[in-house]
Amino acid sequence: MILSINFSIRVFVILFAALICLAGRATTNDSLNIIAVLPVFNLSGKPAPLKDIRQSLINRFKSQGLNILDEENLEKFIVRHRLRYIGGINEATARAFREETGAEAVLITFVELYSDISPPKIALTSRLVSTGNDPEILWMTGIGLAGDDSPGLLELSLIENPETLLEKTVQHLSASLTGYLSGGKAWADNRRARKKFRSKASYRSPVLDADRKYNVAVMPFLNLSDRKYAGEVTALHFVSQLRTHENLTVIEPGQVRQALLEMRIIMDDGISLAGAESVFSKLDADIILTGKVLNYQDYQGLTGKPKVGFSALLIEKKSREIVWSYQSYHEGDEGVWFFDWGKVNTAHSLATEMVQLAVETIFR
Amino acid sequence: MTRWGNYINARIYIPLLTLVSLVACVTSSIPDNYHDPGMDFAALRTIAVMPFGNLTGDKQAGERVRDTFMTALLSSGAVYVVPAGEVARGISKVGVINPTAPSEEEIVKLAIIIKADALITGVIREYGQVRSGTTSANVISLSLQMIEKESKKVVWTASSTKGGISIWDRLFGGGGRPMNEITEAAIDDIINKLFY
Repeated sequence: MILSINFSIRVFVILFAALICLAGRATTNDSLNIIAVLPVFNLSGKPAPLKDIRQSLINRFKSQGLNILDEENLEKFIVRHRLRYIGGINEATARAFREETGAEAVLITFVELYSDISPPKIALTSRLVSTGNDPEILWMTGIGLAGDDSPGLLELSLIENPETLLEKTVQHLSASLTGYLSGGKAWADNRRARKKFRSKASYRSPVLDADRKYNVAVMPFLNLSDRKYAGEVTALHFVSQLRTHENLTVIEPGQVRQALLEMRIIMDDGISLAGAESVFSKLDADIILTGKVLNYQDYQGLTGKPKVGFSALLIEKKSREIVWSYQSYHEGDEGVWFFDWGKVNTAHSLATEMVQLAVETIFR
Repeated sequence: MTRWGNYINARIYIPLLTLVSLVACVTSSIPDNYHDPGMDFAALRTIAVMPFGNLTGDKQAGERVRDTFMTALLSSGAVYVVPAGEVARGISKVGVINPTAPSEEEIVKLAIIIKADALITGVIREYGQVRSGTTSANVISLSLQMIEKESKKVVWTASSTKGGISIWDRLFGGGGRPMNEITEAAIDDIINKLFY
């Protein structure tokens, strides 16, 4: 009897210890002690509850056991360094973050779409950038959700409350980040783009070597659409997809912006070869990605369809030539025949799939 | 004999008359492209596409069509296309007064700076929706020309029009084909006229 009780206690203790280890692995990361969550950058072109979104993110991260830099220290740092641009960090800011606040990474979040008209639509993109001497993108993902993505039978699953949808979006982002921090693969990276969003207009030069590693600098896209900030949004989609490619290391966009400002490069109609030379040498880049956004359109309410159109090209350092060019234009209801099955409801989700397919053609 | 003769005459003359009437209705087709017979197009390696003239109400039409054309031309694999940013730098450096219609001197200077063998200029004549009564549909109409650096001559011109209101649109509505689709169709048509 005593033997049996001892055995049960031992098993219980072992199981309890294993559970604690697993929980610790899932919620904390030894390499990232403190994360600074920067104020949310609004790329939607319309008013959005930025403070609520940020607070929701912070609450969720804290509940997952992440150590977030306190508000007071962050605010003091922002004031001290007159940090006005919060869409990226350059080397000097990254170093100062590490030295002065102890934060080992900075979380940069963008609101791409916020519509509270029923059914609501939200699109968020987040990027985790390391601090210190060489800021590097550690993790990045984006999510675009609409209240009518999965309305279910008799629309019982239709989400009409924007706060509920925001919670769902934040939950996805936080799950992806904690997945990354615990050493797992982020859920968003596993999604596959549908072939219907492939484009026929593309060019690839034999100069691109599939066995080589390249440093890529992504320039802001020239915006020819009616949507404000569509150029920045499309560039972010490319940053997000390019960094998943094993041959490519994407330079933090904050550093690219700083280099363009320092060299006073103005791109009226895309980057010139002289401008590209300067960027290559300043950022130690091997290829530059640039392009134009022809269309980036969301819709509000129940009826409508998102439209996305862009062209992109890569300029290589040694050959000083275009080594890859791609053009794509699609609408969210392509290939949809019955009851909106398979319809894409946000330009974010459509652009994600289109850009993923575009990036796949670079080394193919 | 007379009755048989009349019958034969009617069998010959009626179809003949019909044929003549049909032939009379045929309009002569004017070719919408020109290739300089003395030009060796295979010698062209690098081409610069100048900003297109825009005669439409859509301010971005020229840039949109130019961008689609440049990607399609590059995708053809036949020639290398100078990046738009480099063309803009050349235009600014040479001080081209009207980039949509450069002068001979400007063409030579520009081609030397951006290392292009030829320049393509163009005009967008129609871009967007056209209406006829209650029916509407998208239409695009453009014409392009290529000017060679050495000879300073126009060596190729072509035009294309796609979209517009079809019988189907008149009967069933629907707004015609999407703008992007007809733009691609018009550009494919123009590129086919360049190479074939």
